[in-house]
Amino acid sequence: MTDIDSLDRRLERLTDADLARGLDIFRDRLGAAGAAWLQTCVRCGLCAESCHYFLADGETASIPAHKLEQVAAGFRGRFTPLGRLAPALAGARPFDRALARAWVEAAFGRCSACGRCSLNCTTGVNVAAVMRAARATLTELGLIPADLQQVVTTALETGNNMAISREDWLDTLQWIEEETQAAVGDPAARIPVDRQGANILFTVNPREPKFFPLGLQASATVFHAAGEDWTVASEGWDLTNYGLFSGNNAEAGAIARNLLDSMERLGCRTLVIGECGHGFAAARWESAEWLRQRPLFRIISFLELMESYFRQGRLRVDPARVTDRVTLHDPCNTVRQGGVSEPQRAILRRCVTDFVEMTPHGADNFCCGGGGGQLAMAEYRDKRLQAGCIKAEQIRATGARIVAAPCHNCIDQLMELNREYKLGVRIMTVAEIVSDALVLPAAAPGKESHEPAS
Amino acid sequence: MPMIDLGGRSLEVSDEGFLLNPEQWDEDLAAHLARAEEGLEALTDEHWAVIRFIRDHFEQNHGAPMVRAVCKATGLPLKRVYELFPSGPARGACKLAGLPKPDGCV
Repeated sequence: MTDIDSLDRRLERLTDADLARGLDIFRDRLGAAGAAWLQTCVRCGLCAESCHYFLADGETASIPAHKLEQVAAGFRGRFTPLGRLAPALAGARPFDRALARAWVEAAFGRCSACGRCSLNCTTGVNVAAVMRAARATLTELGLIPADLQQVVTTALETGNNMAISREDWLDTLQWIEEETQAAVGDPAARIPVDRQGANILFTVNPREPKFFPLGLQASATVFHAAGEDWTVASEGWDLTNYGLFSGNNAEAGAIARNLLDSMERLGCRTLVIGECGHGFAAARWESAEWLRQRPLFRIISFLELMESYFRQGRLRVDPARVTDRVTLHDPCNTVRQGGVSEPQRAILRRCVTDFVEMTPHGADNFCCGGGGGQLAMAEYRDKRLQAGCIKAEQIRATGARIVAAPCHNCIDQLMELNREYKLGVRIMTVAEIVSDALVLPAAAPGKESHEPAS
Repeated sequence: MPMIDLGGRSLEVSDEGFLLNPEQWDEDLAAHLARAEEGLEALTDEHWAVIRFIRDHFEQNHGAPMVRAVCKATGLPLKRVYELFPSGPARGACKLAGLPKPDGCV
């Protein structure tokens, strides 16, 4: 296969000095806590059944402790005294081309960085963090899957990860504004662009304007119904950050900077991350670390914002409009890693008549299989869809007709699982469900749209 | 890489079923991919309008068009585009039009 050949060629080109430098990067990224994680695994095996890869394929190579061991062996071979003196005794291996290949397989091929094994680890090893450090090393050595790096590069070069031009972005916003106005029957339903000093700066995944703008329309409808003072930015509007998946902190920081620049330029009060798991984790939790700078404004998920509208009595809904059974997927980066679990549940309980949880759910839910950049790595497609069978069976067991998925990345994987495993469900964002249930305020008579979207 | 055998030709596709050499595309291949990848037994005029527009856009601009442009050019409502292609505009329509897989969350 071309991709594997290409990995071979890339491995061939590596010098011993390259490999040594790669391991230095790994050590620096881990820090003291991370180095301790490499030594604390007691091989209890609890992680095995916490991992959707292992549950799906039953292969030793998919057990998180095994993946951790591949990575730890290279570290010990160079940085622990026993590993240098008696490698066999210490479980140490030289970080050579063969081991680098094993790292690629462990960190990219069989890990979606979902963190579920860490939650179930008896000694508290943050496997996902170790895997990200391993990815940083592999990315530095040019061993990252080419398609994944391409998404990062496109974002760095064009300001968004789909190379959408400013003209196309603004044209789509105007179109969706018109569609929203027609749908709600009120010309006051606007999508304000670059409104200085707005309360909310709303950010989106480029996938929405490019291919799936109905989610954007639903979000605009919710803002209209809540009477929010909001805006989107003409530049610096992409909430995604694939630097989280590549492990390159300099590039991740440069991408994260775009949203902060928009906030500064527009002087908004709160940065709202649309329904996207990794984008939320990157902006809310990681960007301060990458940029060595604490943001001076609030960063929240759109889920938290919508839930606050309900608490404040700003949205009226009629759950009788959504009577199909609905279940909820928990994006790893929003829930397990991001700490936002209850708002989306509170929203759904208000908006639908038949809400059922998956088993397990919340922070203990399984990854859809598309996390960690898996959707961008074509070479691991079969593994990704196989690992997704755990999620597919969870969904099937609920008997739901609608799966609410507050993450555009998860939505793509769930759409594929829906076809692959013949689930017969509809996949919707939470905002789309809220929008369907909304009882809209009557349009103010004689009120006209003030100005065209600029 | 997986291969498709079609009318005496062998065409290489990616692991996700996207044509590897986009210049090899023709309408026979679109019809084949529609059956194999999208479960569409026959393509209607509406399907062809979308596929041909995406193809023309790709040949002129080397990328996938905005779904906005698809709707504008074909006169189809947005919701109709999703009905026509079960996997959506990116993994569905763009694949049938012989484009490489678009970058990003698709």
